[in-house]
Amino acid sequence: MTGSARAAGGSKPLGRTIGHVGLALTVAFGGIALGAGYWQVLRSPDLTRAPDNPAVIAAARNVVRGMIVDRDGKVLASNKRSSVTGEPYRVYPDRAFSTVIGYASTDFGTAGLEHAWNAELTGVSNRDPIGDVLRKFQSDPYDPQKLTLGISSVLQRAAVAGLGDDRGAVVMLDPTTGEILALASTPTYDTGAIANPKTSRDAFAAVSGDTNGRPLVTRATQGLYVPGSVFKIVTAIAGLGSGRISASTTFPEQPKAERDGLLVGGFRVHEHPGVPSQSFNLAAATEWSSNIWFALAGLQTGGDNLAAFAARMGFGAPLPFELPTSPSQVTNGGGSAPGGFTDETELANASYGQAETLVTPLQMALVAATIANGGTLMKPHLVIAASGRNGSRTIAPEQMGVVIGPDEAAAITAAMQRAVESAIGQQFTSGAKVPGIPTAGKSGTAELGGTGAPHSWFIGFAPVDHPRVAIAVIVERGGRGGARAAPLAGDLLALYFKTFGR
Amino acid sequence: MTAAAPSLPSILGPIRPRPRGRETRLLAIVAVTILVGSVSLQLARRVTDPGEAHGLSPANPLHLAIYLGLIGLAHLVLILSGRRMDQVLLPATAMLGGISLLLMERLPQTQVVQQVGPWKLGLGDIQLAWLILSFSLATALAVTVRSDRWLRLYKYTWAAAGVGLLVATYFLGDDINGQRLSLSLGPISGQPAELLKVILVVFLAGYLSEYRPLLVEESTKVGPISLPPLPFLAPMVAMWAIALGLVVVQRDLGAALLFFTVFLCLLYAATGRVGYVVVGVVLFLAGSYVMYRLVPTVQTRVDIWLDPFTTSSGDGYQIVQSLYAFARGGLLGTGLGAGLPTVGGHLPIPAVHTDFPLAALGEELGLVGVMAILGLFLVVVERGLRIAASAADEFRSLLAAGLALVIGTQALIIAAGNLKLIPLTGITLPFISYGGSSLLVNGIIVGLLLALSDRGVEPPPPPRPRGRLARLTGRVTRLESPPAARAPVPDPRPKAAGR
Amino acid sequence: MDPFLLTVWVVRLLFLGLLYLFLFRIARALVGDLRAAAREPGAELGRLVVVSSPAGEPEEGTSLALDAIATLGRDVNNAVVVEDQFVSAEHAILTFRGRAWYLEDLGSTNGTFVNGAPVEGVAPLDFGDVIQLGQVRLRLERPRSAASRR
Repeated sequence: MTGSARAAGGSKPLGRTIGHVGLALTVAFGGIALGAGYWQVLRSPDLTRAPDNPAVIAAARNVVRGMIVDRDGKVLASNKRSSVTGEPYRVYPDRAFSTVIGYASTDFGTAGLEHAWNAELTGVSNRDPIGDVLRKFQSDPYDPQKLTLGISSVLQRAAVAGLGDDRGAVVMLDPTTGEILALASTPTYDTGAIANPKTSRDAFAAVSGDTNGRPLVTRATQGLYVPGSVFKIVTAIAGLGSGRISASTTFPEQPKAERDGLLVGGFRVHEHPGVPSQSFNLAAATEWSSNIWFALAGLQTGGDNLAAFAARMGFGAPLPFELPTSPSQVTNGGGSAPGGFTDETELANASYGQAETLVTPLQMALVAATIANGGTLMKPHLVIAASGRNGSRTIAPEQMGVVIGPDEAAAITAAMQRAVESAIGQQFTSGAKVPGIPTAGKSGTAELGGTGAPHSWFIGFAPVDHPRVAIAVIVERGGRGGARAAPLAGDLLALYFKTFGR
Repeated sequence: MTAAAPSLPSILGPIRPRPRGRETRLLAIVAVTILVGSVSLQLARRVTDPGEAHGLSPANPLHLAIYLGLIGLAHLVLILSGRRMDQVLLPATAMLGGISLLLMERLPQTQVVQQVGPWKLGLGDIQLAWLILSFSLATALAVTVRSDRWLRLYKYTWAAAGVGLLVATYFLGDDINGQRLSLSLGPISGQPAELLKVILVVFLAGYLSEYRPLLVEESTKVGPISLPPLPFLAPMVAMWAIALGLVVVQRDLGAALLFFTVFLCLLYAATGRVGYVVVGVVLFLAGSYVMYRLVPTVQTRVDIWLDPFTTSSGDGYQIVQSLYAFARGGLLGTGLGAGLPTVGGHLPIPAVHTDFPLAALGEELGLVGVMAILGLFLVVVERGLRIAASAADEFRSLLAAGLALVIGTQALIIAAGNLKLIPLTGITLPFISYGGSSLLVNGIIVGLLLALSDRGVEPPPPPRPRGRLARLTGRVTRLESPPAARAPVPDPRPKAAGR
Repeated sequence: MDPFLLTVWVVRLLFLGLLYLFLFRIARALVGDLRAAAREPGAELGRLVVVSSPAGEPEEGTSLALDAIATLGRDVNNAVVVEDQFVSAEHAILTFRGRAWYLEDLGSTNGTFVNGAPVEGVAPLDFGDVIQLGQVRLRLERPRSAASRR
């Protein structure tokens, strides 16, 4: 017997078990180190930019904020020094941008873009790790960035003017890059008065007390509305994308249903007056804005496909955007039928934009942009460049997802072009067509039930052959789609081509 | 020819200086490091407050001198005592203490103010005082403890004392925020839970080392699971359950987690049976779940842990600010004294000097600094476990391991809580957090570890004989004839003595 | 680049560097110790050389390494199993305490002897002493490697 004595009676010597415990502790400490690395390196960029991070709040108090300019370099936000306290405060020359840029006030904090890009505007931390390290060695630790927006003042002002005293929103963007060209919400409010320390208290009280207009709610991004017929494009996308319908699909029951209404689960879907009792294909149904065809198409597509393809475009969650957005929905999700619908009736009604569908204008603009860009949706963004002491950088376009293929998008484009340019279509989309430029689009009249006018909607894009601009317009209680939204869209599109060329 | 255990010499032993070169070299590095840190702190103050040009001078040189003098004195005492003790423990804890001092210097001194006679003492002053006491206690214990008899033999007394302390705190303690964690004797108040950790380890070490073979070889089977034999498991579990129950009732969840982890680790160390650990962990998870459902404060803590950002202006504020601090630190930190941007004149993290010192250090020293601090704790734990592995007998081994575990596990729990890896608990970061009781108890731990590491200390008493009857009764018996069956029958007496 | 700020950062990085120097020194010493321990496998506290063993278990002339506590006896669970009809199941125990070896009889029938003298209580041993259990004699020797005690 060799003499390796075991500790009396033990199966594992004490030294070995202690070694195991030491190993376990070492591993645990390693885990802590990894955790520290996670927060200090991996998550550091977004945490140091969080608006309630004390460093950001401290910077906001002491620093001259960076300027904000539009795509042509026109100043949208700048600074002035108070003659009383010597501290800088914000100045906003153009009220049309109030809902986009928001305000930065020493008393009332920040809102809008001033809030979202607060860290960069105060120069606390930019999305640039090398610049951040360099700044440690400079005597001024802050490098406020000047932001260049993709918005064009010409378009923005025209949009706000076109909405006039009505409440509503206009969203215009470049479908190939996702750059926002105009983001107008009315009513606007006086951000300059809030930023000015002398008038801030009264101005803020007035704005927040305006429960009627509620200007602090940015309608373009946070306003949820019944979409009406503009939603039919979403149904078309889901149907063609899933392959359940094609551009030439017709429904044999349609002619009879046009006359008597379509019975779905005990509820009769009615057409709006004037639609002939015949079979339609996609293009014709879009032209006539046929509720019944789209209801049938939606039923054939299925609730799960409808929800899924809508989700590809951003439905069901806040959109990835620099301003806060409300999630658009195809249904409120309480039902047990596929896609979260309660039953077939709801699906049918949702397919033409009623029932529980609720959308934001930005979301509908993205729907138009998807079709315009051949089925691929680009991520919308306001800021296109940021520049500071240590250089400048551009924000590159980013793809949000491939929703449908180019062939399906082309089919829908053709249908939408007919809706704007054909004689039949123009009954509904009067004024949307831009003279000399092939335009595509869809109007919508969102019935709200009860008394009062419906919402007036329009979505579209131009030119059809190589789309450069997509648009969504809503005028609250504006009446039929062709009454307010379509003509306004047409004017704005024409203005776009006048300003930027064909 | 009996061998008597060497008689206890006079309390300090003869003065026989023995050089401790490694300790000297390491302490030199500690001194320079803390000095540089102090200069860095002063420079940061100059950046925000240019004022007069000071050149490169340390912040609060008086404190620095006192602290370094204290450490030097401790080093000298250890040299003079001539004991062959571990040479890395003192420098490592001195480094941690130095970092603590720098941190308390850096924080606004008005966080804690105590009036002592004509003097008004601020945060840094009080922490320095406690550090002095702590290191003095550690050195004193290291040098005077020559016999572990008082620890080893009276384990049930220790257990009773611990429970008594806990009960006293429960009924007589000061009510702060609904928790009775402090006990006051006149002007001095402390947190007995801290001392209880050490008492628990002493008891467990004594108990486990005595009954180790039984715990290893025999087990009670409950279905497919094997538990330690019940008669022997019972006292341990009772002691631990009382401690656990009382801290849970007092909602000191960090201490409960600490006790539990130390218990399981020591059980594994003593028995080597992973099965026990598995059972323990399962019980812990089950118990935690039950507590989560039944106790609202636990629920709040867990909810905050899971998603603090949505409640960041309410309950989650503290942990969110801690994470912001870590994020602001990045890789290299903002520099001592340059972080922690104030919000309305206050520090962004509430209770940063007690609950979140690691967040403050994470912000100012960066990931690099945090890893260095974790490394320091790991060094302390490693030295403790090494002392345990090379100890003369099982009691000392388990005691050293347990003490090392207490420090290591405590650091782990609070670091993980600061980093949102586990829910936040209210325990302190050893040596770095502000807090007298914590510093004193950690000083005791270090002192005991140093004493245990002394290779010349009194040899342990002989192990109890392991005859079968002796096993059952635990008493020494002289056997007339050898026990039954397998033992061979001895033949008649051999030749007369005297070969 | 502001020279003052540069200085500030140099000092800060120096602080961090010194922390790591400290840890590095400790780690290097740790590695050194481990290597030293590995170079002498089975660093022992003592050895037993079997002087005479009539029954052949343990074999005469063999050298057994000892840990701090070693039990001797006929039972197979002992650290040193001694086969002899005069040896009890659990006969004696050798312990290393502090600086020396001690031998204690565990209540055996025929007693334990050191250099011929019977052991009463706890007997201290020197290297070179001969222990006798029954008819088996074992001599306590120094450990193989001189540097076994750090």
